[in-house]
Amino acid sequence: MPEVKLDGVTKRYGKVTAVDRLDLVVRDGEILTLLGPSGCGKTTTLRCIAGFVVPDEGRIFLGEEEVTRLPPEKRDIGFVFQNYALWPHMTVFQNLAFGLQLRRTPKEEIGKRVREVLSLVRLSGMEDRYPRQLSGGQQQRVALARALVLRPRVLLLDEPLSNLDAKLREEMRFEIRELQRQLGITAIYVTHDQAEALVLSDRIAVLNEGRLVQLGTPEEIYQRPANRFVAGFIGLSSFVEARVASVEADGATLETEDGVRFRVPKGSLAEGQTIVLAIRPEHVEILAAPSEELENVFQAEVLRAAYLGNSIDCRLRLGKWELRTQLPPGKIPSPGEKLWIRLPPEKLILVEA
Amino acid sequence: MGTKWRRALLEGLLLCLVFFVIFGPISSLLIWSIAIRWYWPHVLPQEIGLAYWKQALGLQRDWAIAAVSIWGAFGTSMLVALVSTALVMTMAIPAGYALARFRVPLKALILLLFLMPKAFPQQPIFVNLLPTFTRWGLAGTVQGVILIHILVCLIFGVWITTSAFKAIPQELEEAARSVGATRWRTFWKVLLPLAAPGLLVSTVFVFITSLTEFTGTFFIGLPFVTTLPMLLYSSSGYNMQFASVIAIVLLIPSLLFMVLIQRVFRPEYMGGIAG
Repeated sequence: MPEVKLDGVTKRYGKVTAVDRLDLVVRDGEILTLLGPSGCGKTTTLRCIAGFVVPDEGRIFLGEEEVTRLPPEKRDIGFVFQNYALWPHMTVFQNLAFGLQLRRTPKEEIGKRVREVLSLVRLSGMEDRYPRQLSGGQQQRVALARALVLRPRVLLLDEPLSNLDAKLREEMRFEIRELQRQLGITAIYVTHDQAEALVLSDRIAVLNEGRLVQLGTPEEIYQRPANRFVAGFIGLSSFVEARVASVEADGATLETEDGVRFRVPKGSLAEGQTIVLAIRPEHVEILAAPSEELENVFQAEVLRAAYLGNSIDCRLRLGKWELRTQLPPGKIPSPGEKLWIRLPPEKLILVEA
Repeated sequence: MGTKWRRALLEGLLLCLVFFVIFGPISSLLIWSIAIRWYWPHVLPQEIGLAYWKQALGLQRDWAIAAVSIWGAFGTSMLVALVSTALVMTMAIPAGYALARFRVPLKALILLLFLMPKAFPQQPIFVNLLPTFTRWGLAGTVQGVILIHILVCLIFGVWITTSAFKAIPQELEEAARSVGATRWRTFWKVLLPLAAPGLLVSTVFVFITSLTEFTGTFFIGLPFVTTLPMLLYSSSGYNMQFASVIAIVLLIPSLLFMVLIQRVFRPEYMGGIAG
């Protein structure tokens, strides 16, 4: 399996730049997710790699071969579409066999490979069904099988799970991950669903407005978001803007314009600098009583709380800032109630303003 | 199982109603075509017989019956309609595909251009065309009539074909490309089978339009080219029997096509295009 390399790929539609000088290397055998809000250029990027769209600038490589202007049928890629795009006039067998027939594969071999891949996606015995006779989940697996049966160099998936219901979607995430590992195929997966990206990626490329914002493993992206956009897009975050009031040997002190002071690790902060604190819900600790020894202990006011079954989603007010947190199930706090909270300095995420 | 019976009864009644609405008006044609004598105030003809049919089909020649053999006109009509339809569709299918799939410059203008012959009263256009056709030696010839039919029918061909192709999701084509099919292969193996019902409708429409076209044929074809509608118009009014015979003959192709369409519209095709 070759690696996929994008070198300064740019695609414009009229005045809109869908993809803006994108450099990206997808490693051999990994599954990389292009993650971003709608309109961030992730689908256009994938379509450039597939050959459905020719970039205005830049080059695309599959392994050593440059494919920038190669038509899609010569790229040897597998593509899974959001709406599955199964051919309605062909049976499941015919859908899977079409590509093999084009390659003049012998008949017995076609039969063998179709059966093999159908058992891989757990659809054995469905050969003679028409797509409309299958459920959404089954159609989705046929679409996957159709891409895999050709043993392509790269598997491209364009939001393949977004038409499925929540439960099935969660199952399929693992299934796709499992298949990709098992086959060792290089895969590029487009999604706007951060949970999906975190579960099934080796690495995630976060895109915004056609540009690569951050590239890293799910842990890196989640724990060390490169900027406010990433911190906001992946995982829930509350943001607090502050100025670096002082830098000492053992850390730094931030102060918001309304006088709330935070202790944070020193890092490379400089006095006077403005910074944004991103606070994850799970990093807000609830204390039974105020504490003198601990840092960053505040009294916050409950704005509203919503019961979620396994937890309570709670909005707190700290100064003029709103913090979101999750409380363990139990008594639901009422608005106006005061809680003692602690924000452990080492867990606070600092991003550029 | 009372509901089942009631449902069957309702369906039966509905079918009868549909049958009546479609074939009720036509039944009067049938009666007229076999009426030998039918004077007011009689509800049904006083004398019926197949004389007009026999005469029209060339099975007898009786000067007392005001009808001539329709075979010549029928042959001309079929020839013109088949050739026009074939030529229109060979233009309309690629044109429709291009208009549906590519960003054609001046697309609106091109579609408008096709619409033009229909946007103006027909007569002035054909009268205006007559000198040109005469200069090209096409007036009064079958070729000229075919050309004028193409002009009249192209609009239906292109518009219906365009929407037939447009209705097919682009991803179905891209999926074919991604598994290794060239654009050409994709067109034959994916697009054409899926567009077939729409293309068939378009073909039928064009064929029927050509078969029943009168105005253009009249201006360009006169006096040498006689099609069934020409014969029909010249006998209608004073000779209801002969006109009815021709009208029924003109209906036959439509009925045949209806049966054909019903066979082609397979539910597997139509369902689940979008998944």
